[in-house]
Amino acid sequence: MRVSYLLIAGLLLCSPFARGDPWQYELLLMPSAQAVGTFDRQAPVTEIVDEVVQVDTLFTVQRGAFKVFGEYLLSDHEGDLERFQLGWQATQDTVLWIGRYHQPTSVWNHDHHHGQYLQTSISRPFLDEWEDLGGILPQHFTGMLIESAHKAFGSWRLRTALGGGLAPIITPKGLEPFDLLHPDSEHHQVGFQARASLHPGEFTETGFGLLAATDELPTIGLAVTPLPGLDHVDLKLVGAFGIYAAADWKVLGTWYYAHTQLCSPTAVVNGHFQVGYVEAERRLPHDLTAFLRWEGSADAGRSDYLKLFPMMVRQRDVGGLRWDFVERQALTVQLSDTNTLNGHFKDIRLQWSAAFL
Amino acid sequence: MRRLLTLLLILSLVAPARPASQAVVLVVGADSPAIEMDSVSVRKLFLGVPVLVNGKPLHPLRNRSDPLLDEIFFQQIVAMSQSSYDRQILIGVNRQGWLRPEEYSRVEDVVAALNADPNAVSYMWQRDVGHNPKIRVIRVVWSD
Repeated sequence: MRVSYLLIAGLLLCSPFARGDPWQYELLLMPSAQAVGTFDRQAPVTEIVDEVVQVDTLFTVQRGAFKVFGEYLLSDHEGDLERFQLGWQATQDTVLWIGRYHQPTSVWNHDHHHGQYLQTSISRPFLDEWEDLGGILPQHFTGMLIESAHKAFGSWRLRTALGGGLAPIITPKGLEPFDLLHPDSEHHQVGFQARASLHPGEFTETGFGLLAATDELPTIGLAVTPLPGLDHVDLKLVGAFGIYAAADWKVLGTWYYAHTQLCSPTAVVNGHFQVGYVEAERRLPHDLTAFLRWEGSADAGRSDYLKLFPMMVRQRDVGGLRWDFVERQALTVQLSDTNTLNGHFKDIRLQWSAAFL
Repeated sequence: MRRLLTLLLILSLVAPARPASQAVVLVVGADSPAIEMDSVSVRKLFLGVPVLVNGKPLHPLRNRSDPLLDEIFFQQIVAMSQSSYDRQILIGVNRQGWLRPEEYSRVEDVVAALNADPNAVSYMWQRDVGHNPKIRVIRVVWSD
């Protein structure tokens, strides 16, 4: 798999369509260091790691309308090729990607990805949490992604993203996406995602949109399951999101309705739950930004699917302050009050983050 | 009145020499496929957003040979503060792998890059274009 992707990348970049164009490169490093202290703890499971030092590396090699784009995350706990995409800029407003991508129905992850510097809060909403940190929804897929934008209703813009690719599997460690560097599983099934949003202008983040996804998630090696002989879960998501971005204010929110179907050779169990969040960010004098986030859910306690994820956050309040103390470097402090399905805890986080181009 | 006229005459002689009018123009190489660009396309281009002509992306070059050009770049071309621009560039690299504009600190290097790459687009003082036949002006970005 590794060799075939590199071969395709080489063929694209050296193809006659790119003849005469110069090779162009970009490298972005986003290091960060974070410490977490947990207190008032009455939940059996809280954080997977209490401190993280990481470097998120983004690289682009482009020639003509073709590019290779990747994101490699190296931390004191893991090293992973998070994204690796071969892209073709088909038209000015449409790009086709093949490879490993972040699924577009997660608004937070599709906008921020792994770089801590570009998100205001330290933690992400739990519904957008990465698979290896206890996340409940698939985030990494390997397949094809098409992103596009068009004029609509006068000066408005319609932005769309359609994706389809190998979805994660469910293991005793949680969701496990297809790994490009260690492609050792043949159990992954295909999942599809769609996102469409309207924005009042070409250059604004402000907008609102709809999301939908359908995934088949096989289970592998689970010792205890909510349904005896659980073989796979069919997960269907629909959602809506909105973003208001002004000079001093930013407010964003997402809400999902999830329908789950747990399937064994002899039985099928249907269920559903809802999850969402609203975050408000306010720029203050002296390069400070205050933020508040509310995360909530409905019917989470009754969901058999969510019993597979012991860290599932039922409700969480988050608040904090970020200080951009020099160019491209920030310090952030964040307090959280979390209710999981099995208990409650609070935590305080401190983070330094930066970006180097 | 005579004293006032004398004073104005002296002041006009003492005042630093300044061209009657200045303009910043968008320029490409003589064999560039780019014919014309509207202000939205120019803004997109220098924000790193792909802008294609004949199916090939244009390559923006930032001319940083003069601090005043930098001011005009932020006010007239990308229409945002330096910090907002910096953040937009980071977001573009992070989300889409967009390339930030290459930067040049000497006009001669900008001209050489335009001549070497037919898909390159930059901006410069109109006086720096002069009568150079290898450079083509496609738009006035700013004039006083």
